[in-house]
Amino acid sequence: MTELWSQLLGGFATAATPVNLLWAFVGCAVGTAIGVLPGLGPAVTVAMLLPITAQVEPTASMIFFCGIYYGAMYGGSTTSILLNTPGETGTMVTALEGFKMAKSGRAGAALATSAIGSFVAGTIATVLVTLFAPVLAEHAVKLGPPEYFCLMLLAFTTVSAVLGKSTLRGLTALFFGLALGLVGMDQITGQVRYTAGVPEFLDGIEVVLVAVGLFAVGECLYNALYEGRSTSSLNRMNRVHMTRTEWQRSWPAWLRGTAIGFPFGTIPAGGSEIPTFLSYATERKLSRHKDEFGTTGAIEGVAGPEAANNSAVTATLVPLLTLGIPTSVTAAILLSALQNYGINAGPQLFQTSSALVWALIASLYIGNVMLLVLNLPLVGLWVKLLKIPRAPLYAGILIFATVGVYGMRQSAFDLYLMLAFGLLGVAMRRFDFPTAPVIVGLILGPLAEAQLRNALSIGEGRFGIFLERPMSLFLLVCVALVLLMPRLLAWRRRA
Amino acid sequence: MARERSPHASAQLALGLGVLAVAAVLAWGAASIPSQAGYAGIGPNFLPWVVALALAVCGAGLVMQALRGGYEDMDEPSGAERGDWPALAWMAAGIGANAVLIERAGFVLACSVCYALAVRGLRLSEGRSAGGVAGAARDLATGLAIAAPVYWLFTKVLEVNLPGLTGTGWL
Repeated sequence: MTELWSQLLGGFATAATPVNLLWAFVGCAVGTAIGVLPGLGPAVTVAMLLPITAQVEPTASMIFFCGIYYGAMYGGSTTSILLNTPGETGTMVTALEGFKMAKSGRAGAALATSAIGSFVAGTIATVLVTLFAPVLAEHAVKLGPPEYFCLMLLAFTTVSAVLGKSTLRGLTALFFGLALGLVGMDQITGQVRYTAGVPEFLDGIEVVLVAVGLFAVGECLYNALYEGRSTSSLNRMNRVHMTRTEWQRSWPAWLRGTAIGFPFGTIPAGGSEIPTFLSYATERKLSRHKDEFGTTGAIEGVAGPEAANNSAVTATLVPLLTLGIPTSVTAAILLSALQNYGINAGPQLFQTSSALVWALIASLYIGNVMLLVLNLPLVGLWVKLLKIPRAPLYAGILIFATVGVYGMRQSAFDLYLMLAFGLLGVAMRRFDFPTAPVIVGLILGPLAEAQLRNALSIGEGRFGIFLERPMSLFLLVCVALVLLMPRLLAWRRRA
Repeated sequence: MARERSPHASAQLALGLGVLAVAAVLAWGAASIPSQAGYAGIGPNFLPWVVALALAVCGAGLVMQALRGGYEDMDEPSGAERGDWPALAWMAAGIGANAVLIERAGFVLACSVCYALAVRGLRLSEGRSAGGVAGAARDLATGLAIAAPVYWLFTKVLEVNLPGLTGTGWL
């Protein structure tokens, strides 16, 4: 315990240097801005900024990227409440009640409960990360390649089968991502695969390119193609303030939301959609003001999901830092940022890069305070961003997309590829294919392949190795359950 | 289970066939990768075959659903029923022009052209007039006003490598 304390203090000492504080602040501000703006999410923003990893030192850039990640969650709720288009998938549920509250003139209270709730949940979740991540890392060191491969298999299954409505389309997206990950040099034998003689493909396909193409360029193209005549209405702002009863109704919801969100962030269940919906359902059931849900807007319906969202987002750092397994798209891109530095995320991270890890955790505490300040007194500033007209906004995004994609490898060829991925992104969005599995498959695919081959080497070529080790067998059973449960439930309901 | 035929069924069919084509390309490529299994019993050609087969199964599933009237469990896509293809073409032309120009005219000018073309497409999609020569000049200037500070920020402060027209580092 004392060791933990001294490491955390050491982390604060690193995170509180003026330069790192500045990175955290800029990260939080950029994150809030892109959370507020429609069209950009934290994943694609971090992806576009990945070229800075060539110059900026790892601790500073990780603090910066994480600031963007949870800053976007704070900013996203502002858009969900004031505008009927959520800025972030995780804040979709906030839009349900938040927008109704704003319509009936309680925008200020909704903004307050979401900002303070995010702060409470973020801070509690950070304490949990501080306490549990080192313990988990200690145990995770004992995991071998077979267990790792099964963990990654579980991540693949949940991200493609649980999210989205169709397992078939989810799996198609996943295998497409895995196919992209195959391009380039094989990690173990150095065998060149699928380069078609194009030298640009030798190093593989950059994550930045795929993420920026699918998300940013795809979003811009989709907007030009289909959303030209869509209109959105902006709610009136009023003073950010909560009454006594609103406080009383909010805080139990914050705590329940935090408790629901955290476990979902730590398991590969693919982001914050499920916990936010669960929290919403819980609040709706427990509330003494059921009549307000869906009519004038109930404050619990904003407070709970917002807390669940932030708690889940913070908790995604646990599997990322201790196992090297990303459970959301943004976490996957953070993983590739670490890879750019040649840092292997995994249980060894707490030993080999302990200064970085603890500085990162300390900066989460600091960042949450910064975000509370940025989002409560200064919320009016961000709301002005919503007045930027659509055409220059989306055209401007293309400029930033160019920075990210070209800056990564200095190749004009990548810009053509970016356009191709953009067009693919439009088709995927139009036909309801999830995009997260593509990114997770692309980043995790090569790692999973290496683990699979190492595992089979241990088992001397027998696939039975996965069934003989209790932990990997357990994980395989989990994979089977994730794939079969929805079918069994649907079948029982029909019978 | 008779369902109403989705108006997008033919596009969905094309997409399913596309997935099948990707699977075929992957399989064709996998055939030329040596196996070099070593102790693992599987070599660098193992995962390519798995992915190729899986994509073939997924593609077949998509084609089947499309033929039966449309993909199952679809969420209604947001936005208009019909696409505004000219608007898309303007924006795609912008990105293409950017790729052509970036190493010849430098980041700032290439991105200004990209911005001007894209903003024109977006405005057309809103049903507004794109503006004549004066409008185009104004868009170029706006693009310049965004691209130049971005260029300075990323090359001078963050030391990201972006091409310039001149060696001065300002343009």
